[in-house]
Amino acid sequence: MRQTAALFLDAYRELNHRRLFWITIVLSGLVVAAFAAIGNDEEGLTILHWSIPFPFVSTNFIPRADFYKFTFAQLGVGYWLAWIATIIGLVSTASIFPDFVDRGSIDLMLSKPIGRARLFFTKFLTGLLFAGLQVTVFTLASFLVIGLRGGDWEPWIFIAVPLVLVFYSYLFAVQAAIGLVTGSVIASVIGVFLFWFVISLVQTGDGITLAWRITNEITSERKVSRVERQESRVTALSARLVDLRLAAEDGDAEAVDQLPELELELVDKEERLETIMLELADEIETLEQSRSINGWFHLVNTCLPKTNETIDLLSRLLEDHAGLMRPAAPADDTVRQFGEMVGRGEFQERFDAELDASHGPFWILGTSLGFEAVVLGFAVWRFRRRDF
Amino acid sequence: MPPSTTPQTEAPPPKSPGSEELAVDLHDVRKRYRGKIDALRGIRMQARRGEIFGLLGPNGAGKSTLVKIMLTVVRPTTARGTILGRPIGTQSVLGRVGYLPEKHRFPVYQTGRQAIEFAGAMCGVDAATCRRRADELLGLVGMSDWGSKKVSTYSKGMLQRVGIAAAMVNDPDLVVLDEPTDGVDPVGRKDIRDVLVRIRDRGTCVFLNSHLLSELEMVCDRVAILVQGEVAAQGTIEELTSESRRYEIEIGGPPPEWAEAAGLRVSATSDAGAGTTTLVLPSAEADAVQPVLDRLRTDGRVIMVLRPVRESLEDLFMRYVQDPETGKAKAPGAIRKARASKGGDA
Repeated sequence: MRQTAALFLDAYRELNHRRLFWITIVLSGLVVAAFAAIGNDEEGLTILHWSIPFPFVSTNFIPRADFYKFTFAQLGVGYWLAWIATIIGLVSTASIFPDFVDRGSIDLMLSKPIGRARLFFTKFLTGLLFAGLQVTVFTLASFLVIGLRGGDWEPWIFIAVPLVLVFYSYLFAVQAAIGLVTGSVIASVIGVFLFWFVISLVQTGDGITLAWRITNEITSERKVSRVERQESRVTALSARLVDLRLAAEDGDAEAVDQLPELELELVDKEERLETIMLELADEIETLEQSRSINGWFHLVNTCLPKTNETIDLLSRLLEDHAGLMRPAAPADDTVRQFGEMVGRGEFQERFDAELDASHGPFWILGTSLGFEAVVLGFAVWRFRRRDF
Repeated sequence: MPPSTTPQTEAPPPKSPGSEELAVDLHDVRKRYRGKIDALRGIRMQARRGEIFGLLGPNGAGKSTLVKIMLTVVRPTTARGTILGRPIGTQSVLGRVGYLPEKHRFPVYQTGRQAIEFAGAMCGVDAATCRRRADELLGLVGMSDWGSKKVSTYSKGMLQRVGIAAAMVNDPDLVVLDEPTDGVDPVGRKDIRDVLVRIRDRGTCVFLNSHLLSELEMVCDRVAILVQGEVAAQGTIEELTSESRRYEIEIGGPPPEWAEAAGLRVSATSDAGAGTTTLVLPSAEADAVQPVLDRLRTDGRVIMVLRPVRESLEDLFMRYVQDPETGKAKAPGAIRKARASKGGDA
């Protein structure tokens, strides 16, 4: 316990020594100050004592507390914590493990009565102190702003602390492993940003191919309905034609007159059916292709940590528990997606349902933490076996 | 059979005679690095409590590897033996060991006092004791006025002093110091030597790794010479140099005719005038020289100088690291490719 406390105290000293830590804290303070400076009233947006007439953000449209919570979730978490503070954090903590394994420094640590695995994990946790302190200070300040300015003391805001920390830990685990193996600060900075870029591409690819798949499912189902309708039309026409032929054979002159026209119509409808069936075959082929590609993307995404989706999960939790404004339901119009016209409402409903089914909280956090465990497991295995 | 790549420290170490007195008791310590480079080839070494033990050897002889194996920084290929009575690799025993690595690096954000306290806390020493010990040790190494300054402002010598203090903070039974006087001025070296003697006098074993042979000669009770990954010699300096101990007698005039029959060797003869001769009696015993002196006096020879001579540590060291055939220093390092060993040791 003394050793753990000493390592944390030393990590605090190290953070204290790093200017970037304080720069980020000051910037966080500025972001929260800006957050406190803006507000909304009956007219629209307010900045300090100035009022800017933006009716769509007025208190008639969005209550003041919701305005602050929405700003916290969208700008505070979505941009500041998930991007800017994380980038600064990763740059700031990049040297922790390379410095740790540096010759002359590592000897001093390994010659103490502490196991290598414990030493590694404690060092990893001390590295998370950076993100932990940043996100806690920012969230606490935001909580106060929302309470004091918006009049809503919303404890669910603090869900941002563990989720942003978990999000940061995915990346820091990769950075720690690279730093440990290479001993290079540059390699760990470049490596982690490259990794972040790649997983962002995979997550985006998973989302886009899912949208493509759902669009294809909608259009295929629509095509199937058309085929079914056309088939029933052909069946009805065929039955009518049979009746007409029987009538014509019985000498019904009117039936004899109608027969050629109906035969032509049947041929036309059969040709149309054939065309639609060919189109359906194409649709199904495209659907299978989209399912396959989405399946691959989803598989790869499952194996990797989900940074964007963890932040999206935070937004969803804030919507569900902190009374955060939900985006307005999409209008029931049609939009062109992947070259097909689909109903916006229908698409969104099916897309959300699919996300709930295949991208649930347990999948997002469980698989991401699983990846992190594998990376940390590899790093600690390497650390335990290595001679310094 | 080639050594296994996994450490083999489980086998119970054989007990050396008087092993309860031994702080370091190593048997068959081997290390083969990847690429089949043998750094250590079966080290057997003992260092007792209450003595200063010097580890000598040319660059790359395997000294640092041996020290790091003792401190679990490097995993041995095979290692039998004990450190403070516990098998090598036992983590808990490190709480009773102090270590100053060569070219150690304290974090730049620490002050000297913080570096010492941190080392103590990592050894499981409580905070109050760490603070008290830090005060004492800063005084002991002459750094009391600098304790609250950042280590980034320290000179090399000051870093060494704080490093020694950090190695002592847990009041260890074994202190391993790798080049402790590196970068320290002569006054500082004297101070450090005094500190080492004080540590030794408290019953602690000081395991010293240094290139400065004259320094070692001044403080070490026992030494081991490591050459190409093997212990070439081990013992007190007296023991190791006993064979070379002799008496040199400088007399006036030419060598006496009976010199050879009396077991004397003529070392040098001067040419000028009556000249002088230096006779060597290969014995460390004062009794053995008395009959020779009597006979020289009987012959009426002038005895100008009589001195006991002993090899210096440097002479001893050079004797072991030099190739007797070529007279040149042996190939640096313990490096020996396995392929080369098939045809004979390099």
